Amino acid sequence: MHVVTRPTKLGKRIRFSRGAAGAAFVIVALLAAPWITHSYRFLSIAISAGIATITLYGLAILFGQTGLLSMAQAAFMGVGAYTATILARAIGLGFWSSIPFAMIASAMVAGVLGVFSLRVISAQYFIIVTFAFGALFSIIMINGGSFTGAATGLDVGPIGSVLGINLNKIRNFYYLTVFFVLASILVTYLISISPYGRTLRAIRENELLARSVAIVTDFHKIAVFMLSGLFAGLAGVLQAHFLQHISPALYETFPSVYLALMVMIGGPRMLYGPLAGAIIIYFLPEVLHLDPVDARIAYGAALVMVIMLLPSGLIGGFIDLYRRATARARQRYGEDPE
Amino acid sequence: MSLRISGLQKTFDGVVALAGVDIDVTLDKILGIVGPNGSGKTTLVNVVTGTFAPTAGHVTWEGVDITGKPASAIARLGIARSFQQAMTFSGLTVEENVQVAWDHRSRRRRMRSLWTSPDELLELVGLSDARSSIAGALPFGNARQLGIAICLATLPKLLFLDEPGAGLSDAELEPLTELIKQLHSMGIGVCIIDHNMNMISALCHRLVVLDFGTKIAEGAPSAVLNDPKVREVYLGEDL
Amino acid sequence: MGIFIQQIVNSLSVGSVIILVGLGVTIIFGLTGIVNFAHGEFVMVGGMVTWVLVSSGANFFVALLAGGVAVGALGLLLERTLFRFTLKRPMNGFIVSLGLVVLLQHIVIRALNTNQKSILDPMGDVVWQVGSVRIVAMRLVVVVITAIVVAVTFFTIQRSRYGMALRASLADRETASLMGIPIRRYIAAVFAYGSFLAGLGGALLIALFPVTAFLGTTITVRAFAVALIGGLGNVTGCVVAGIILGLINGFSAGYGLPQWTDAYSFGLMILILLVRPQGLLSGTEGPSVG
Repeated sequence: MHVVTRPTKLGKRIRFSRGAAGAAFVIVALLAAPWITHSYRFLSIAISAGIATITLYGLAILFGQTGLLSMAQAAFMGVGAYTATILARAIGLGFWSSIPFAMIASAMVAGVLGVFSLRVISAQYFIIVTFAFGALFSIIMINGGSFTGAATGLDVGPIGSVLGINLNKIRNFYYLTVFFVLASILVTYLISISPYGRTLRAIRENELLARSVAIVTDFHKIAVFMLSGLFAGLAGVLQAHFLQHISPALYETFPSVYLALMVMIGGPRMLYGPLAGAIIIYFLPEVLHLDPVDARIAYGAALVMVIMLLPSGLIGGFIDLYRRATARARQRYGEDPE
Repeated sequence: MSLRISGLQKTFDGVVALAGVDIDVTLDKILGIVGPNGSGKTTLVNVVTGTFAPTAGHVTWEGVDITGKPASAIARLGIARSFQQAMTFSGLTVEENVQVAWDHRSRRRRMRSLWTSPDELLELVGLSDARSSIAGALPFGNARQLGIAICLATLPKLLFLDEPGAGLSDAELEPLTELIKQLHSMGIGVCIIDHNMNMISALCHRLVVLDFGTKIAEGAPSAVLNDPKVREVYLGEDL
Repeated sequence: MGIFIQQIVNSLSVGSVIILVGLGVTIIFGLTGIVNFAHGEFVMVGGMVTWVLVSSGANFFVALLAGGVAVGALGLLLERTLFRFTLKRPMNGFIVSLGLVVLLQHIVIRALNTNQKSILDPMGDVVWQVGSVRIVAMRLVVVVITAIVVAVTFFTIQRSRYGMALRASLADRETASLMGIPIRRYIAAVFAYGSFLAGLGGALLIALFPVTAFLGTTITVRAFAVALIGGLGNVTGCVVAGIILGLINGFSAGYGLPQWTDAYSFGLMILILLVRPQGLLSGTEGPSVG
């Protein structure tokens, strides 16, 4: 770390255009993907990765920005999925109308859990409580009888169309997913550059100090937990309609662990970290023709190595390398580090 | 406009840190709170500013009972404190550190505030050039300055400085003393908790001496420092 | 009434294994502050090691000890290579343990497979009849072994001078290290012993039920529940909590609601954490870092 002088106008312009170029690249890549390969399998994996990405951004705001790790993210997806599915079966609610219900349900559950667990206890106990909640949620769903479909779960109706576009076609579903992914990235970006994001980071860095500058940390922690629930709820509904079937096993402990793994590997504080994490986890085995078991061994090992060696995730690690390589050039243009 | 501490007690698991303290703090006189290690000085600050709730006693600020209120509420009411360990938001930049406190400054006091932007505060503590440095990488003296800037960004009426001089060289103490005098002349109440008798005598108009959680002396520095009780408690120390 | 007694007797053996596994968690988390969410996976590995040995003809009790020791060694290795670097940042240690969950589960799947593994009853399917209650001999053996290990642990960690010195020095690491006490070695020792307990638990479990590679996740939360409800670092508390939960499980199974039993443990744990975080019998809240 070194002291840097004020950024010059040129430096600021370079940073802005780099950011815009990065965003453009990501958008174009995501939109163009189906044209590069017409494979059904590719799109199917891409959709799964996209759904994971949406929920990962919720986790990234919660953990990356605020420093709270939740093991209940998969369970919150379940809350959203079950809410939407049960409402669809009970009152015939369509895909689009079920989204707000699902998101609010997940946020509410997160809120209740947060009110009880975020005020009193330490970060480690919070993780354990969310873990326990995840396990509890599964048990409740399994024991819900025909209302929740018990262990076998519930079937989900087809998604239907929007503006005349049939979303049951996989390519169109893919674009729907991309839409929500981009929206998630945008929301995360706006939060991270806003005063609210700064507040969350302050809570992460030093909660005691945050309180002494009049930040009501309890309120913000609960609120951001609910926010992560919103993302999870949305992802849950999308996933329900993609798989056309939901069951408690989807929302158990292991999926939550796996989500945490994805966000850590990608880098929870980087803007494209969650996206990268999901893409790596879902596509690497395809690209390298890895057996899923071998792939998971690799991921477990990767997570351990990343945490021990690259605390800002893989993306962070690459950026660090890039920065070190281009340090001289940047000093000339007076860019400040992020 | 003042702070009244009456009968304040704090016990931790059977250890009595404060055994009933009464202090009046006014904004026009710089108050020094001194005492040997373990006399309860920092506990007093912690209890008054809301980090802990007292076991007994009351704290009244501007006529309102603030006993047991959480730290964030007390900060909002205009009492700020700096920490002994030079606490900062270590992963954020210097300017973000001050900015985040500034974001949460009291709406009511913003109208009458002497400062219009966090930049002025950075200027005041001499950290303008380091604005983009990561707070965790700052040398100790600078981190201290940042801590004070963060406090000031909450637009306090009363400022508790917990051992502001500790760990600073004589060269660094000069600007700190000047800064405190400047803040006082701006109308901000200051209460300094410290050991450093030179700084205390130079700055404070009134002193309170604590020992084992009780007040053993109070008054003008010259009187207090010559009090035999006080000398006894500081046996061997250079007053 | 007889049904309830039967249910309680049935759940005693599993309950005592959970106490054993929870004991590992309570001494590790309580004394060193390390949260190892792969503790359940340690249990599973212990069971698998025992299975491999018994299937190759080893005597069960030898395999039992081997299972425990193997996992104890694994714990020591992981502490020395990974966890010791995360002591200053407990969150990292937690995340590492998440990685280990995925890693250990799938290494075992790769080495063996996902099928159930079981062994023949080491006591030869002997069953005793006491009144209207059937007691499976092996289950009694499990309870006895657990009781012995818990007692030994209690006396070494809770009562002996060594144990008290250990607990005191881990609670105040700074002072202890200034006094020249080898804190790092104590932490490694505690972690290894706690892992040994996990491995032992797994070995005992496989004598009762078939075990799969996915056993870990079901065990971990229950073990943490027992440890937290009883109070971290408190051996007696762990036993008391385990007994309470065991009784609850027995009753709920007796009332015909077996699927809800885990819900009670988790629910009770959440409740305790919110209402009385130091646990029923007052444990540490994890030592302060550094």
